[in-house]
Amino acid sequence: MSDIVRAQEFDNVPCPFCGLLCDDVRVTMTKGAATVIANGCAKSRVLFAANANDAAIALADGKPVDLATAIGRAAQILRAARQPLLISAGTDVAGMRVLIELAERCGGSVDHANGDALFRNLRVLQNTGWISTTLAEIRNRADLLVVAGTGITGRFPRFFERCFGNFETLFEVGARELWFLGDVPDDLPAALRSRTRSLAIDPSRFTEFFAALRALFSAHVLKEKAVAGVPIGNLSELLERMRAARYGVLAWTAADLAFPHADLAIQSMCEFVKALNSEKRFSVLPLGGSDADLTAQQVTTWQTGFPVRVNFNGGAPAQGAARRDEVDAMLFVSALDAGRTPPSGNIPSIVLGRAGMRAEGCSVFIPVSVPGLHHAGHLYRADNVVAIHLRKLAGSALPSAAQALQRILDTVREPH
Amino acid sequence: MIRLKGGRLYDPARRIDGKVGDLFVHDGHIVATPAPGMAIDREYDIPGRVVMAGAIDLHTHIGGGKVNIARAMLPEDHRDSAFARTDLTRSGSGVAAPSTFAAGYRYAEMGYTACFEPAMLPSNARHAHMEMGDTPIVDKGGYAMLGNDDFLLRLMADGAEQKLVNDYVAWTLHATQCIAIKVVNPGGISAFKFNARHLDVDEPHPHYRVTPRAILATLTRAVHELAIPHALHVHASNLGVPGNAATTLATMEAAEGLPIHLTHVQFHSYGTEGERKFSSAAASIAEAIDRHANVSADVGQIMFGQTVTASGDTMVQFRNARHALPDKWLCMDIECDAGCGIVPFRYRDSNFVNALQWAIGLELFLRVKDPWRVFLTTDHPNGAPFTSYPHLIRLLMDKGFRDEKLAQIHPDAAAHSQLASLNREYSLYEIAVMTRAAPARSLGLADRGHLGIGAAADITVYRDDPDREKMFSAPEYVFKDGELVAQDGRIVKVVRGATHVIRPDFDRGIEKRLRDYFDRYHTIRFDNFPISAEELVECGSREALVHACARPAP
Repeated sequence: MSDIVRAQEFDNVPCPFCGLLCDDVRVTMTKGAATVIANGCAKSRVLFAANANDAAIALADGKPVDLATAIGRAAQILRAARQPLLISAGTDVAGMRVLIELAERCGGSVDHANGDALFRNLRVLQNTGWISTTLAEIRNRADLLVVAGTGITGRFPRFFERCFGNFETLFEVGARELWFLGDVPDDLPAALRSRTRSLAIDPSRFTEFFAALRALFSAHVLKEKAVAGVPIGNLSELLERMRAARYGVLAWTAADLAFPHADLAIQSMCEFVKALNSEKRFSVLPLGGSDADLTAQQVTTWQTGFPVRVNFNGGAPAQGAARRDEVDAMLFVSALDAGRTPPSGNIPSIVLGRAGMRAEGCSVFIPVSVPGLHHAGHLYRADNVVAIHLRKLAGSALPSAAQALQRILDTVREPH
Repeated sequence: MIRLKGGRLYDPARRIDGKVGDLFVHDGHIVATPAPGMAIDREYDIPGRVVMAGAIDLHTHIGGGKVNIARAMLPEDHRDSAFARTDLTRSGSGVAAPSTFAAGYRYAEMGYTACFEPAMLPSNARHAHMEMGDTPIVDKGGYAMLGNDDFLLRLMADGAEQKLVNDYVAWTLHATQCIAIKVVNPGGISAFKFNARHLDVDEPHPHYRVTPRAILATLTRAVHELAIPHALHVHASNLGVPGNAATTLATMEAAEGLPIHLTHVQFHSYGTEGERKFSSAAASIAEAIDRHANVSADVGQIMFGQTVTASGDTMVQFRNARHALPDKWLCMDIECDAGCGIVPFRYRDSNFVNALQWAIGLELFLRVKDPWRVFLTTDHPNGAPFTSYPHLIRLLMDKGFRDEKLAQIHPDAAAHSQLASLNREYSLYEIAVMTRAAPARSLGLADRGHLGIGAAADITVYRDDPDREKMFSAPEYVFKDGELVAQDGRIVKVVRGATHVIRPDFDRGIEKRLRDYFDRYHTIRFDNFPISAEELVECGSREALVHACARPAP
């Protein structure tokens, strides 16, 4: 009878695997393996279930070792390093707390793997700012959503289902209107498709596109017949729709705006939306949160005063991580997704990864448990406002990233 | 057992005004004089020193989403103030928007042992508790913001009975692990989402048609009927608007005689007299506070220099964004709950308006007769960083120093103010009232803010120095729950603070209605919304300290 295992069912489970942090997922656990049975998406179905049967063995220089040995070797590497770089590619608030303390202790730097994308937005925040909104406001108020340079659903599969669809809302939103500045995603819900418009535009020309919209809004007459390849007539039509909206939103995903000076494009969007607010309400939505990147941004900011890329080279925290070619050791944490592997390099590297991660080339590999599956924790949502409390669904023999990092920190601290 | 021997005790809760005496501390508490022969482990001989309970800041924006946006926005505030770790302390940075470690250490070094974050959006409560969990040494507490949330506004628009509102208010306190209820620009933050740019006390909300007056009346009643010790904490309508003194008086009346706390009242005490149509209404506001025994206030003093304003009042922050310095700002609508606005600002003594704001704040301090009903705040960081408290205390205690500073501000502002004619100097006893005894009583912290037997041993020992700024900057000893945490303005031990909360009884029937509301409209499930006591510890708190529901004695 021992092979009859009762599946345990969990309702309203928060999913940690994308920035939306949908918390209505139904999951069953059987012998430590998770299966999403309702309210999932392609991402959550794969990542809840992944790696359940993968071997989870610590490695040092490619050889299996016990956890204590791996911790000791990791501490040794960090102690010897003059300029270590500690990177999150997916850990919760607790993990970030220790990661930062470890960087501080070692006089190193802390960063997130999505740091480039985060700073596209942060540079705008630090230069001019914006007027923004959050997911529940969009769900209940937005009658117009303009999406710039991203399909959204690739990174946030259930965005339209949860935030901008045909469901009961607190306020009258009419027939919601959706504009894509760029390609329309293939998996857009059918109900929205008939209310969807798109303009073909190269995102790297958003700076001039939004500057032109702002000029039109300020009643300037433009001599050009087209801006960034878009006919003026289309610009004017978009502007009219934006002016007519009761509560319009302009969204982008900085990670998808991977071109030089993308921050200027984002700034151009934000300044235009600020200008719109002189006569009506309109907001931006800078979407993020993938790989717990906004979690890294929040914790570094409150603990050090500087967002994400912080170095302790001079003891005190300062903005900016060490350049990759200056770094002489790396610690990389990816507890959510075994597929999120560290950049290759020929420096000593410590990897804390979800079981199943292929990390042969690293000096030390420490398998860690998954937040939201094996232990509780906190992550920040795509709108950078709401923090969600993740649940423990099943036990794990593996330490959490925070526990493993704490052991490394304690070892680094020991007199030697 | 610790003995603090021979200090001068200032303990207004027990009407002790400078009496010389000993204090005994055991197991984190103040205890009775031990029997002869009982071992004293450590004795501090402190003749002539001024001994007070640990100070309590009942309105300081030290944690939560808007504070963290301010930090991220202002590397200028952090570059030159960053400091390294020591064997004892973590690194940090910041003055106007200090990092969490910086805030905790500096508060403790100044003799503060509890800080209350006054604007915790329920949807952002987790975040605020996590930041406060990383704010060392001091105890923390939060005020949950209501009055712009669509759940309450819908209840009111539907004419729901008061009992339902009370249940919702109580549930919110449980779910957010808070100790009081705050309202910011009642209805105004919500109205701004409907493109309203102003909302006066008797103006109906553009969608719900309820007025700020009705919101104030409903929430003051809820707080009263639930016996929540701290009065409804009110950031009134029309902050910063010339002539808003009339709004502030109307706000007092809206409480209909029930307890109400007007926060950063300096920003709400403006008239429209004079060529510049901006004048001090401090006299009429102070007189009204004196006259209404149900009203308390904190001042929100401004100080000259760079700071950042961080507020839930999006309507006002959007209006003030044109004054941003450096020229950057952020406003945000949040979760059908409230909003936030961040606007960096530099107050200048050569600017007429700023100079008059400075004088208005001081006038309020000096005119309100009862120190039990006016608390010392700068609305950190909105009026000034909390680190300016010692300077502010000197301004209140030292007329000569005040006159010297008055002579340096914009001469027209000085001429328009009656500050020069106010001769009052606060006594040490009155300072102890407004920074210890009164906030503790107001918040219902029975075992804080005093030095009686059974009190938590949060104790601050100052060298008596005629330069009160120097004296209050770096107390000789600061004890937190009986442990010496700071000495001569330096941290000597780091402890973890607790969280002060209150948990009024309520009818759980409200949860059915809330569950339905969350399921229909929200992007977070009802089950995942509340913060448990266990999660609070995960956020970083030592523990929740649950205080009794009972109205403070008058």
